[in-house]
Amino acid sequence: MSIAEMLANLEDEAVMAEVKKQISDGVEPMKIFEACQEGMNIVGKKFQDGEYFVSDLMMSSAIFKDVSDVIKPLLGTEGEATIGKVVLGTVEGDIHDIGKDLVHAMLSAGNFEVIDVGIDAPVDSFVNALKENPDAKVLALSCLLTTCYDSLKATVEAVKEAGLTDVKIIIGGGPVDQSVVDFSGADTYGETAQDAVFIAKELM
Amino acid sequence: MQTNKLYDERLELYKKTIKFENERPSTAYGGPATPAAHMGMTIKDYIFDTKRGFKAYIDYINLLNNEAPVDVINTPYAGLFHIPISMMWLSKVKAPGIELPDNSLWQVMEKEMMKVEDYDKILEQGWAEFQQEFLPKVLDMKDLQKFIEYQMAEGPEQAKAMIDNSYPLVNSMGFTPPFEALCGARSMTKFFMDCYKLLDKIKDVQDVMFPVQIEGALQAMKQSNAIGGWVGGWRGASGMVSPKIWDTLVWPYMKKAGDKLLENGFIPIFHLDQNWDRDIERFLEMPRQSCILNTDGMTDLKRARKLLGDHVAFMGDVPAPLLSNGTPETVSDYVKELLDSVGPKGMMITSGCDTPANAKFENVVAMYKTAVDYK
Repeated sequence: MSIAEMLANLEDEAVMAEVKKQISDGVEPMKIFEACQEGMNIVGKKFQDGEYFVSDLMMSSAIFKDVSDVIKPLLGTEGEATIGKVVLGTVEGDIHDIGKDLVHAMLSAGNFEVIDVGIDAPVDSFVNALKENPDAKVLALSCLLTTCYDSLKATVEAVKEAGLTDVKIIIGGGPVDQSVVDFSGADTYGETAQDAVFIAKELM
Repeated sequence: MQTNKLYDERLELYKKTIKFENERPSTAYGGPATPAAHMGMTIKDYIFDTKRGFKAYIDYINLLNNEAPVDVINTPYAGLFHIPISMMWLSKVKAPGIELPDNSLWQVMEKEMMKVEDYDKILEQGWAEFQQEFLPKVLDMKDLQKFIEYQMAEGPEQAKAMIDNSYPLVNSMGFTPPFEALCGARSMTKFFMDCYKLLDKIKDVQDVMFPVQIEGALQAMKQSNAIGGWVGGWRGASGMVSPKIWDTLVWPYMKKAGDKLLENGFIPIFHLDQNWDRDIERFLEMPRQSCILNTDGMTDLKRARKLLGDHVAFMGDVPAPLLSNGTPETVSDYVKELLDSVGPKGMMITSGCDTPANAKFENVVAMYKTAVDYK
Protein backbone atom coordinates (compact mmCIF):
# COMPACT_ATOMS: atom_id res chain seq x y z
CA MET A 1 0.00 0.00 0.00
CA SER A 2 1.33 3.46 -0.84
CA ILE A 3 1.89 6.24 1.69
CA ALA A 4 -1.02 8.14 0.14
CA GLU A 5 -3.35 5.17 0.60
CA MET A 6 -2.18 4.56 4.16
CA LEU A 7 -2.78 8.20 5.04
CA ALA A 8 -6.16 8.15 3.32
CA ASN A 9 -7.04 5.08 5.43
CA LEU A 10 -5.91 6.97 8.55
CA GLU A 11 -3.31 4.32 9.42
CA ASP A 12 -1.15 6.61 11.52
CA GLU A 13 1.52 4.16 12.67
CA ALA A 14 1.87 2.56 9.24
CA VAL A 15 2.25 5.98 7.57
CA MET A 16 4.98 7.05 9.97
CA ALA A 17 6.83 3.74 9.66
CA GLU A 18 6.73 3.90 5.87
CA VAL A 19 7.83 7.53 5.80
CA LYS A 20 10.81 6.73 8.01
CA LYS A 21 11.64 3.66 5.95
CA GLN A 22 11.56 5.60 2.68
CA ILE A 23 13.75 8.35 4.17
CA SER A 24 16.32 5.80 5.26
CA ASP A 25 16.06 4.10 1.86
CA GLY A 26 17.07 7.42 0.31
CA VAL A 27 13.79 8.31 -1.36
CA GLU A 28 13.68 12.01 -2.21
CA PRO A 29 11.96 13.79 0.74
CA MET A 30 9.88 15.95 -1.61
CA LYS A 31 8.43 12.82 -3.21
CA ILE A 32 7.47 11.46 0.21
CA PHE A 33 5.91 14.78 1.13
CA GLU A 34 3.94 14.90 -2.10
CA ALA A 35 2.66 11.37 -1.40
CA CYS A 36 1.40 12.60 1.98
CA GLN A 37 -0.31 15.55 0.31
CA GLU A 38 -1.91 13.17 -2.16
CA GLY A 39 -3.21 11.17 0.81
CA MET A 40 -4.72 14.36 2.23
CA ASN A 41 -6.36 15.09 -1.10
CA ILE A 42 -8.00 11.65 -0.99
CA VAL A 43 -9.21 12.39 2.54
CA GLY A 44 -10.65 15.69 1.33
CA LYS A 45 -12.43 13.94 -1.52
CA LYS A 46 -13.84 11.31 0.84
CA PHE A 47 -15.08 14.10 3.14
CA GLN A 48 -16.73 15.85 0.22
CA ASP A 49 -18.39 12.61 -0.84
CA GLY A 50 -19.81 12.07 2.64
CA GLU A 51 -17.63 9.03 3.24
CA TYR A 52 -15.49 10.78 5.86
CA PHE A 53 -16.53 13.04 8.73
CA VAL A 54 -14.98 15.80 10.86
CA SER A 55 -13.19 13.31 13.14
CA ASP A 56 -11.58 11.74 10.06
CA LEU A 57 -10.38 15.16 8.93
CA MET A 58 -8.90 15.77 12.36
CA MET A 59 -7.20 12.38 12.43
CA SER A 60 -5.74 12.86 8.97
CA SER A 61 -4.54 16.35 9.88
CA ALA A 62 -2.79 14.99 12.96
CA ILE A 63 -1.08 12.27 10.92
CA PHE A 64 -0.07 14.82 8.29
CA LYS A 65 1.34 17.15 10.91
CA ASP A 66 3.37 14.36 12.51
CA VAL A 67 4.89 13.22 9.21
CA SER A 68 5.44 16.84 8.10
CA ASP A 69 7.46 17.43 11.25
CA VAL A 70 9.72 14.58 10.17
CA ILE A 71 9.96 15.42 6.46
CA LYS A 72 9.97 19.22 6.33
CA PRO A 73 13.40 19.73 7.90
CA LEU A 74 14.77 17.56 5.09
CA LEU A 75 13.19 19.60 2.31
CA GLY A 76 15.46 22.64 2.45
CA THR A 77 14.43 25.62 0.34
CA GLU A 78 12.30 23.34 -1.84
CA GLY A 79 9.99 22.87 1.13
CA GLU A 80 9.37 26.56 1.45
CA ALA A 81 7.42 26.76 -1.80
CA THR A 82 3.70 27.00 -1.10
CA ILE A 83 0.58 27.74 -3.13
CA GLY A 84 0.11 30.96 -1.23
CA LYS A 85 -0.35 32.62 2.11
CA VAL A 86 -3.54 32.88 4.18
CA VAL A 87 -4.08 35.01 7.29
CA LEU A 88 -6.45 33.21 9.66
CA GLY A 89 -8.06 33.89 13.03
CA THR A 90 -11.18 33.85 15.19
CA VAL A 91 -12.69 37.32 15.47
CA GLU A 92 -12.71 39.51 18.56
CA GLY A 93 -15.08 38.41 21.32
CA ASP A 94 -15.01 34.76 20.29
CA ILE A 95 -12.62 32.29 21.92
CA HIS A 96 -13.51 29.21 19.85
CA ASP A 97 -10.51 27.61 18.25
CA ILE A 98 -11.47 24.15 16.97
CA GLY A 99 -12.89 25.26 13.63
CA LYS A 100 -10.04 27.69 13.10
CA ASP A 101 -7.44 25.05 13.98
CA LEU A 102 -9.02 22.55 11.63
CA VAL A 103 -9.01 25.10 8.80
CA HIS A 104 -5.37 25.81 9.65
CA ALA A 105 -4.52 22.10 9.44
CA MET A 106 -6.38 21.58 6.17
CA LEU A 107 -4.84 24.68 4.56
CA SER A 108 -1.36 23.55 5.64
CA ALA A 109 -2.01 20.10 4.23
CA GLY A 110 -3.16 21.82 1.04
CA ASN A 111 0.28 23.48 0.89
CA PHE A 112 -0.74 26.95 2.01
CA GLU A 113 1.33 28.94 4.44
CA VAL A 114 -0.95 30.02 7.27
CA ILE A 115 -0.42 33.09 9.43
CA ASP A 116 -2.60 32.32 12.45
CA VAL A 117 -3.42 35.35 14.60
CA GLY A 118 -5.28 33.22 17.15
CA ILE A 119 -8.66 33.53 18.86
CA ASP A 120 -10.48 36.60 20.18
CA ALA A 121 -8.28 38.49 17.75
CA PRO A 122 -8.64 42.29 17.66
CA VAL A 123 -9.29 43.91 14.29
CA ASP A 124 -5.77 45.37 14.25
CA SER A 125 -4.13 41.97 14.54
CA PHE A 126 -5.68 40.93 11.21
CA VAL A 127 -4.78 44.22 9.52
CA ASN A 128 -1.23 44.12 10.86
CA ALA A 129 -0.73 40.50 9.79
CA LEU A 130 -1.90 41.37 6.30
CA LYS A 131 0.40 44.40 6.15
CA GLU A 132 3.35 42.34 7.38
CA ASN A 133 2.56 39.69 4.77
CA PRO A 134 1.70 41.65 1.63
CA ASP A 135 1.80 38.40 -0.36
CA ALA A 136 -1.17 37.03 1.65
CA LYS A 137 -4.07 37.12 -0.75
CA VAL A 138 -6.71 35.54 1.47
CA LEU A 139 -8.04 36.39 4.92
CA ALA A 140 -10.03 33.64 6.65
CA LEU A 141 -12.20 34.68 9.60
CA SER A 142 -13.80 32.22 12.00
CA CYS A 143 -16.89 33.09 14.05
CA LEU A 144 -19.00 30.76 16.16
CA LEU A 145 -21.19 33.29 17.94
CA THR A 146 -24.00 35.29 16.38
CA THR A 147 -23.08 38.03 18.85
CA CYS A 148 -19.74 38.38 17.06
CA TYR A 149 -21.18 39.23 13.64
CA ASP A 150 -20.33 42.84 14.43
CA SER A 151 -16.69 41.85 14.95
CA LEU A 152 -16.71 40.13 11.58
CA LYS A 153 -18.09 43.24 9.96
CA ALA A 154 -15.64 45.51 11.77
CA THR A 155 -12.72 43.35 10.67
CA VAL A 156 -13.84 43.33 7.04
CA GLU A 157 -14.31 47.11 7.12
CA ALA A 158 -10.91 47.70 8.74
CA VAL A 159 -9.17 45.60 6.09
CA LYS A 160 -10.87 47.62 3.35
CA GLU A 161 -10.17 50.92 5.08
CA ALA A 162 -6.50 49.96 5.34
CA GLY A 163 -6.47 49.85 1.55
CA LEU A 164 -6.01 46.06 1.43
CA THR A 165 -8.60 45.77 -1.28
CA ASP A 166 -6.83 42.93 -3.12
CA VAL A 167 -7.31 40.62 -0.17
CA LYS A 168 -10.22 38.22 -0.52
CA ILE A 169 -12.08 37.49 2.70
CA ILE A 170 -13.61 34.09 3.53
CA ILE A 171 -15.71 33.60 6.65
CA GLY A 172 -16.76 30.39 8.36
CA GLY A 173 -18.15 28.88 11.54
CA GLY A 174 -21.39 27.35 12.81
CA PRO A 175 -23.76 30.32 12.45
CA VAL A 176 -22.24 31.68 9.24
CA ASP A 177 -24.17 31.65 5.99
CA GLN A 178 -24.79 33.89 2.98
CA SER A 179 -26.78 36.35 5.13
CA VAL A 180 -23.66 36.88 7.26
CA VAL A 181 -21.57 37.40 4.11
CA ASP A 182 -24.06 40.07 3.06
CA PHE A 183 -24.04 41.63 6.53
CA SER A 184 -20.27 41.65 6.99
CA GLY A 185 -19.18 42.54 3.48
CA ALA A 186 -16.92 39.47 3.23
CA ASP A 187 -16.43 37.85 -0.17
CA THR A 188 -17.74 34.39 0.54
CA TYR A 189 -18.16 31.71 3.20
CA GLY A 190 -17.25 28.06 3.62
CA GLU A 191 -19.39 25.46 5.33
CA THR A 192 -16.53 23.11 6.17
CA ALA A 193 -12.79 23.21 6.75
CA GLN A 194 -12.37 21.45 3.43
CA ASP A 195 -14.33 24.23 1.71
CA ALA A 196 -11.73 26.69 2.98
CA VAL A 197 -9.05 24.89 0.97
CA PHE A 198 -11.08 24.83 -2.24
CA ILE A 199 -12.12 28.45 -1.87
CA ALA A 200 -8.60 29.62 -1.04
CA LYS A 201 -7.27 27.85 -4.13
CA GLU A 202 -9.91 29.52 -6.28
CA LEU A 203 -9.15 32.93 -4.80
CA MET A 204 -5.37 32.67 -5.26
CA MET B 1 -47.42 22.10 42.87
CA GLN B 2 -50.79 23.65 42.01
CA THR B 3 -51.15 24.16 38.27
CA ASN B 4 -53.77 26.13 36.31
CA LYS B 5 -56.04 25.54 33.33
CA LEU B 6 -53.81 27.10 30.69
CA TYR B 7 -50.73 25.33 32.03
CA ASP B 8 -52.57 22.00 31.92
CA GLU B 9 -53.83 22.69 28.39
CA ARG B 10 -50.34 23.52 27.22
CA LEU B 11 -48.86 20.43 28.81
CA GLU B 12 -51.61 18.42 27.17
CA LEU B 13 -50.78 20.00 23.79
CA TYR B 14 -47.12 19.08 24.32
CA LYS B 15 -48.01 15.47 25.00
CA LYS B 16 -50.44 15.40 22.09
CA THR B 17 -47.74 16.75 19.80
CA ILE B 18 -45.47 13.86 20.77
CA LYS B 19 -48.35 11.52 19.90
CA PHE B 20 -49.03 13.36 16.61
CA GLU B 21 -52.51 14.27 17.85
CA ASN B 22 -51.96 18.05 17.84
CA GLU B 23 -54.30 20.19 15.73
CA ARG B 24 -51.71 22.91 15.16
CA PRO B 25 -47.91 22.98 15.47
CA SER B 26 -46.96 23.77 19.03
CA THR B 27 -44.26 26.23 20.03
CA ALA B 28 -41.34 26.08 22.43
CA TYR B 29 -39.18 28.84 23.87
CA GLY B 30 -35.44 28.25 23.61
CA GLY B 31 -33.27 31.29 24.35
CA PRO B 32 -31.14 31.12 27.50
CA ALA B 33 -29.56 34.54 26.87
CA THR B 34 -32.03 36.21 24.51
CA PRO B 35 -34.05 38.16 27.10
CA ALA B 36 -31.05 40.14 28.41
CA ALA B 37 -30.62 42.63 25.56
CA HIS B 38 -34.33 43.14 24.98
CA MET B 39 -34.95 43.77 28.68
CA GLY B 40 -32.02 46.21 28.94
CA MET B 41 -29.63 44.06 30.95
CA THR B 42 -26.05 43.05 30.30
CA ILE B 43 -25.48 39.30 30.10
CA LYS B 44 -23.39 39.61 33.26
CA ASP B 45 -26.23 41.17 35.26
CA TYR B 46 -28.71 38.81 33.66
CA ILE B 47 -26.97 35.66 34.87
CA PHE B 48 -25.50 36.91 38.16
CA ASP B 49 -28.34 39.10 39.47
CA THR B 50 -30.58 36.08 39.46
CA LYS B 51 -33.76 37.61 40.85
CA ARG B 52 -33.72 40.43 38.31
CA GLY B 53 -32.50 38.10 35.62
CA PHE B 54 -35.29 35.60 36.16
CA LYS B 55 -37.86 38.38 36.17
CA ALA B 56 -36.47 39.65 32.85
CA TYR B 57 -36.65 36.11 31.48
CA ILE B 58 -40.30 35.62 32.43
CA ASP B 59 -41.23 39.16 31.34
CA TYR B 60 -39.56 38.60 27.96
CA ILE B 61 -41.41 35.34 27.38
CA ASN B 62 -44.64 37.06 28.39
CA LEU B 63 -43.97 39.78 25.83
CA LEU B 64 -43.55 37.12 23.17
CA ASN B 65 -46.60 35.29 24.43
CA ASN B 66 -48.66 38.48 24.08
CA GLU B 67 -47.95 38.31 20.34
CA ALA B 68 -48.22 34.56 19.78
CA PRO B 69 -48.55 31.63 22.17
CA VAL B 70 -45.40 30.20 23.73
CA ASP B 71 -46.65 26.73 24.61
CA VAL B 72 -43.69 25.29 26.52
CA ILE B 73 -40.23 26.25 27.70
CA ASN B 74 -37.28 24.29 26.35
CA THR B 75 -34.47 26.23 28.06
CA PRO B 76 -34.66 27.23 31.71
CA TYR B 77 -33.50 30.61 32.99
CA ALA B 78 -29.70 30.85 32.78
CA GLY B 79 -28.91 31.91 36.36
CA LEU B 80 -25.18 31.39 37.09
CA PHE B 81 -25.24 29.37 33.89
CA HIS B 82 -21.47 29.11 33.49
CA ILE B 83 -21.40 26.74 36.48
CA PRO B 84 -23.76 24.01 35.22
CA ILE B 85 -22.25 24.35 31.73
CA SER B 86 -18.83 23.72 33.23
CA MET B 87 -20.17 20.60 34.95
CA MET B 88 -21.88 19.35 31.81
CA TRP B 89 -18.87 19.90 29.56
CA LEU B 90 -16.22 19.15 32.19
CA SER B 91 -14.45 22.23 30.89
CA LYS B 92 -13.60 25.65 32.18
CA VAL B 93 -16.19 28.20 31.14
CA LYS B 94 -15.40 31.88 30.84
CA ALA B 95 -18.12 34.10 32.26
CA PRO B 96 -19.18 37.68 31.42
CA GLY B 97 -17.94 40.21 33.94
CA ILE B 98 -15.22 37.81 35.11
CA GLU B 99 -13.00 36.66 32.25
CA LEU B 100 -15.11 38.24 29.50
CA PRO B 101 -16.66 41.68 28.92
CA ASP B 102 -19.97 42.30 30.71
CA ASN B 103 -22.07 41.80 27.63
CA SER B 104 -20.32 38.78 26.23
CA LEU B 105 -21.91 35.36 26.13
CA TRP B 106 -20.38 32.70 28.42
CA GLN B 107 -17.92 30.59 26.42
CA VAL B 108 -16.43 27.15 26.92
CA MET B 109 -12.62 27.06 26.93
CA GLU B 110 -11.30 24.31 24.70
CA LYS B 111 -8.41 22.92 26.70
CA GLU B 112 -7.08 19.49 27.60
CA MET B 113 -8.05 19.27 31.28
CA MET B 114 -8.09 15.48 31.50
CA LYS B 115 -4.97 13.55 30.59
CA VAL B 116 -4.89 10.36 28.59
CA GLU B 117 -3.74 8.46 31.71
CA ASP B 118 -6.96 9.48 33.41
CA TYR B 119 -8.89 6.85 31.45
CA ASP B 120 -7.14 4.22 33.57
CA LYS B 121 -7.85 6.23 36.69
CA ILE B 122 -11.57 6.24 35.92
CA LEU B 123 -11.50 2.48 35.35
CA GLU B 124 -9.70 1.96 38.66
CA GLN B 125 -11.49 4.53 40.86
CA GLY B 126 -14.95 4.63 39.33
CA TRP B 127 -16.60 7.73 37.91
CA ALA B 128 -17.94 9.31 41.11
CA GLU B 129 -14.56 9.38 42.80
CA PHE B 130 -12.73 10.57 39.69
CA GLN B 131 -15.27 13.32 39.07
CA GLN B 132 -14.88 14.60 42.61
CA GLU B 133 -11.13 14.81 42.09
CA PHE B 134 -11.47 16.30 38.60
CA LEU B 135 -14.11 19.00 39.06
CA PRO B 136 -11.88 21.47 40.96
CA LYS B 137 -9.66 21.59 37.85
CA VAL B 138 -12.46 23.17 35.83
CA LEU B 139 -14.58 24.82 38.47
CA ASP B 140 -14.09 26.77 41.68
CA MET B 141 -15.81 24.62 44.31
CA LYS B 142 -17.01 27.78 46.07
CA ASP B 143 -18.87 28.69 42.89
CA LEU B 144 -20.43 25.25 42.80
CA GLN B 145 -21.57 25.71 46.40
CA LYS B 146 -23.04 29.12 45.44
CA PHE B 147 -24.90 27.50 42.57
CA ILE B 148 -26.35 24.81 44.82
CA GLU B 149 -27.45 27.43 47.34
CA TYR B 150 -28.99 29.55 44.57
CA GLN B 151 -30.87 26.55 43.21
CA MET B 152 -32.18 25.64 46.64
CA ALA B 153 -33.21 29.18 47.48
CA GLU B 154 -34.63 30.33 44.15
CA GLY B 155 -35.40 27.13 42.27
CA PRO B 156 -38.79 26.51 43.91
CA GLU B 157 -39.83 30.18 43.42
CA GLN B 158 -38.84 29.98 39.77
CA ALA B 159 -40.72 26.71 39.29
CA LYS B 160 -43.81 28.30 40.85
CA ALA B 161 -43.50 31.41 38.66
CA MET B 162 -43.28 29.26 35.53
CA ILE B 163 -46.46 27.45 36.50
CA ASP B 164 -48.24 30.67 37.55
CA ASN B 165 -47.39 32.10 34.13
CA SER B 166 -48.68 28.88 32.53
CA TYR B 167 -45.42 27.72 30.97
CA PRO B 168 -44.59 24.03 31.32
CA LEU B 169 -40.81 23.61 31.55
CA VAL B 170 -40.24 20.52 29.45
CA ASN B 171 -36.46 20.42 29.92
CA SER B 172 -35.50 20.52 33.56
CA MET B 173 -31.98 19.29 33.07
CA GLY B 174 -29.54 18.36 30.37
CA PHE B 175 -28.04 14.89 30.49
CA THR B 176 -24.57 14.90 28.99
CA PRO B 177 -23.75 11.46 27.60
CA PRO B 178 -20.29 10.16 28.53
CA PHE B 179 -18.95 10.80 25.01
CA GLU B 180 -19.72 14.51 25.29
CA ALA B 181 -18.38 14.79 28.83
CA LEU B 182 -15.09 13.11 27.93
CA CYS B 183 -14.85 15.21 24.78
CA GLY B 184 -15.14 18.37 26.87
CA ALA B 185 -12.63 17.18 29.45
CA ARG B 186 -10.02 15.93 26.97
CA SER B 187 -10.67 18.73 24.39
CA MET B 188 -12.20 17.78 21.07
CA THR B 189 -8.99 17.36 19.09
CA LYS B 190 -7.36 15.09 21.68
CA PHE B 191 -10.53 13.12 22.31
CA PHE B 192 -11.22 12.45 18.65
CA MET B 193 -7.66 11.12 18.31
CA ASP B 194 -8.27 8.92 21.37
CA CYS B 195 -11.38 7.54 19.71
CA TYR B 196 -9.24 6.15 16.87
CA LYS B 197 -6.44 4.85 19.04
CA LEU B 198 -8.20 3.79 22.26
CA LEU B 199 -11.72 2.96 21.16
CA ASP B 200 -12.14 -0.12 23.36
CA LYS B 201 -10.73 1.56 26.42
CA ILE B 202 -13.00 4.58 26.01
CA LYS B 203 -15.97 2.26 25.68
CA ASP B 204 -14.97 0.62 28.97
CA VAL B 205 -14.63 4.06 30.57
CA GLN B 206 -18.05 5.13 29.29
CA ASP B 207 -19.55 1.91 30.69
CA VAL B 208 -18.18 2.90 34.09
CA MET B 209 -19.43 6.49 33.77
CA PHE B 210 -22.93 5.96 32.44
CA PRO B 211 -24.69 4.31 35.41
CA VAL B 212 -23.38 6.97 37.80
CA GLN B 213 -24.26 9.83 35.46
CA ILE B 214 -27.77 8.65 34.69
CA GLU B 215 -28.56 7.88 38.31
CA GLY B 216 -27.55 11.43 39.28
CA ALA B 217 -29.65 12.90 36.48
CA LEU B 218 -32.71 10.85 37.37
CA GLN B 219 -32.46 11.78 41.04
CA ALA B 220 -32.30 15.47 40.19
CA MET B 221 -35.26 15.14 37.84
CA LYS B 222 -37.33 13.30 40.44
CA GLN B 223 -36.59 15.96 43.05
CA SER B 224 -37.76 18.73 40.72
CA ASN B 225 -40.89 16.91 39.51
CA ALA B 226 -39.56 17.28 35.99
CA ILE B 227 -41.59 16.68 32.85
CA GLY B 228 -38.50 15.71 30.91
CA GLY B 229 -34.97 16.64 30.02
CA TRP B 230 -32.39 16.85 27.29
CA VAL B 231 -30.18 14.06 26.14
CA GLY B 232 -27.46 16.11 24.54
CA GLY B 233 -25.54 15.44 21.38
CA TRP B 234 -23.27 17.98 19.78
CA ARG B 235 -19.77 16.69 19.13
CA GLY B 236 -21.13 13.20 18.77
CA ALA B 237 -23.26 14.27 15.80
CA SER B 238 -23.22 12.05 12.72
CA GLY B 239 -21.55 14.85 10.77
CA MET B 240 -18.77 15.00 13.32
CA VAL B 241 -17.65 11.42 13.88
CA SER B 242 -17.06 8.30 11.82
CA PRO B 243 -19.75 5.59 11.85
CA LYS B 244 -17.58 3.27 13.96
CA ILE B 245 -17.13 5.90 16.68
CA TRP B 246 -20.82 6.82 16.55
CA ASP B 247 -22.02 3.22 16.72
CA THR B 248 -19.67 2.34 19.57
CA LEU B 249 -19.42 5.45 21.71
CA VAL B 250 -22.31 7.77 20.91
CA TRP B 251 -25.61 6.11 20.06
CA PRO B 252 -25.68 3.24 22.58
CA TYR B 253 -25.40 5.71 25.45
CA MET B 254 -27.84 8.24 24.02
CA LYS B 255 -30.39 5.50 23.50
CA LYS B 256 -29.84 4.06 26.97
CA ALA B 257 -30.25 7.53 28.45
CA GLY B 258 -33.49 8.04 26.53
CA ASP B 259 -34.77 4.64 27.64
CA LYS B 260 -33.91 5.34 31.27
CA LEU B 261 -35.74 8.67 31.20
CA LEU B 262 -38.80 6.96 29.75
CA GLU B 263 -38.69 4.13 32.30
CA ASN B 264 -38.82 6.78 35.00
CA GLY B 265 -41.70 8.69 33.44
CA PHE B 266 -39.71 11.54 31.90
CA ILE B 267 -39.94 12.66 28.27
CA PRO B 268 -36.53 12.70 26.54
CA ILE B 269 -35.71 15.58 24.23
CA PHE B 270 -32.75 14.57 22.10
CA HIS B 271 -31.00 17.90 21.71
CA LEU B 272 -29.16 17.37 18.43
CA ASP B 273 -26.74 20.05 17.33
CA GLN B 274 -24.99 19.76 13.96
CA ASN B 275 -25.94 17.23 11.30
CA TRP B 276 -27.56 13.88 12.19
CA ASP B 277 -28.70 12.88 8.68
CA ARG B 278 -26.51 9.78 8.36
CA ASP B 279 -27.96 8.08 11.41
CA ILE B 280 -31.37 9.65 11.76
CA GLU B 281 -33.16 6.33 11.15
CA ARG B 282 -31.66 4.94 14.34
CA PHE B 283 -34.23 6.94 16.29
CA LEU B 284 -36.72 4.32 15.09
CA GLU B 285 -35.14 2.22 17.84
CA MET B 286 -36.80 4.45 20.46
CA PRO B 287 -40.34 3.51 21.46
CA ARG B 288 -42.89 4.97 19.03
CA GLN B 289 -44.14 8.50 19.80
CA SER B 290 -42.26 8.70 23.08
CA CYS B 291 -39.62 11.38 22.55
CA ILE B 292 -38.56 14.47 20.62
CA LEU B 293 -35.74 15.31 18.26
CA ASN B 294 -34.64 18.90 18.86
CA THR B 295 -32.49 19.85 15.86
CA ASP B 296 -30.69 23.04 14.89
CA GLY B 297 -31.30 23.50 11.17
CA MET B 298 -28.36 21.38 10.00
CA THR B 299 -30.27 18.09 10.03
CA ASP B 300 -32.61 17.69 7.08
CA LEU B 301 -36.02 17.44 8.77
CA LYS B 302 -37.86 16.89 5.50
CA ARG B 303 -35.78 13.76 4.86
CA ALA B 304 -36.03 12.80 8.53
CA ARG B 305 -39.82 12.95 8.39
CA LYS B 306 -39.85 10.71 5.33
CA LEU B 307 -37.63 8.17 7.07
CA LEU B 308 -39.16 8.36 10.53
CA GLY B 309 -42.81 8.97 9.61
CA ASP B 310 -44.89 9.58 12.72
CA HIS B 311 -42.51 7.67 14.97
CA VAL B 312 -40.77 10.70 16.55
CA ALA B 313 -41.85 14.31 17.07
CA PHE B 314 -39.58 17.16 16.01
CA MET B 315 -38.70 20.39 17.75
CA GLY B 316 -36.85 22.97 15.72
CA ASP B 317 -35.24 24.31 13.75
CA VAL B 318 -35.17 27.98 12.72
CA PRO B 319 -31.45 28.74 12.22
CA ALA B 320 -29.73 31.23 14.49
CA PRO B 321 -28.46 33.53 11.67
CA LEU B 322 -32.03 33.94 10.46
CA LEU B 323 -33.24 35.05 13.89
CA SER B 324 -30.31 37.46 14.26
CA ASN B 325 -29.89 38.75 10.73
CA GLY B 326 -33.18 37.99 9.02
CA THR B 327 -36.48 39.84 8.89
CA PRO B 328 -39.93 38.74 10.08
CA GLU B 329 -40.69 37.88 6.44
CA THR B 330 -37.66 35.63 5.95
CA VAL B 331 -38.28 33.93 9.29
CA SER B 332 -41.93 33.43 8.44
CA ASP B 333 -41.02 32.00 5.02
CA TYR B 334 -38.65 29.54 6.67
CA VAL B 335 -41.31 28.34 9.12
CA LYS B 336 -43.88 27.97 6.33
CA GLU B 337 -41.47 25.91 4.25
CA LEU B 338 -40.62 23.77 7.26
CA LEU B 339 -44.28 23.12 8.01
CA ASP B 340 -44.96 22.35 4.36
CA SER B 341 -42.13 19.80 4.50
CA VAL B 342 -42.85 18.05 7.77
CA GLY B 343 -46.50 18.85 8.47
CA PRO B 344 -48.04 20.31 11.61
CA LYS B 345 -48.53 17.02 13.45
CA GLY B 346 -45.69 16.05 15.74
CA MET B 347 -44.02 19.42 15.15
CA MET B 348 -42.93 22.03 17.67
CA ILE B 349 -41.57 25.23 16.26
CA THR B 350 -38.59 26.78 17.97
CA SER B 351 -35.12 28.06 17.18
CA GLY B 352 -32.33 25.75 16.06
CA CYS B 353 -30.30 25.03 19.20
CA ASP B 354 -30.58 28.18 21.32
CA THR B 355 -32.31 31.34 20.17
CA PRO B 356 -29.28 33.61 19.83
CA ALA B 357 -28.59 36.37 22.33
CA ASN B 358 -28.97 38.97 19.59
CA ALA B 359 -32.13 37.56 18.01
CA LYS B 360 -34.46 40.35 16.94
CA PHE B 361 -37.64 40.35 18.98
CA GLU B 362 -39.81 40.75 15.89
CA ASN B 363 -38.14 37.73 14.29
CA VAL B 364 -38.84 35.53 17.29
CA VAL B 365 -42.45 36.73 17.27
CA ALA B 366 -42.69 35.97 13.54
CA MET B 367 -41.44 32.44 14.22
CA TYR B 368 -44.21 31.72 16.75
CA LYS B 369 -46.90 33.65 14.92
CA THR B 370 -46.32 31.76 11.69
CA ALA B 371 -46.31 28.46 13.58
CA VAL B 372 -49.80 29.01 14.90
CA ASP B 373 -51.35 30.99 12.03
CA TYR B 374 -50.07 29.15 8.97
CA LYS B 375 -52.63 26.83 7.44
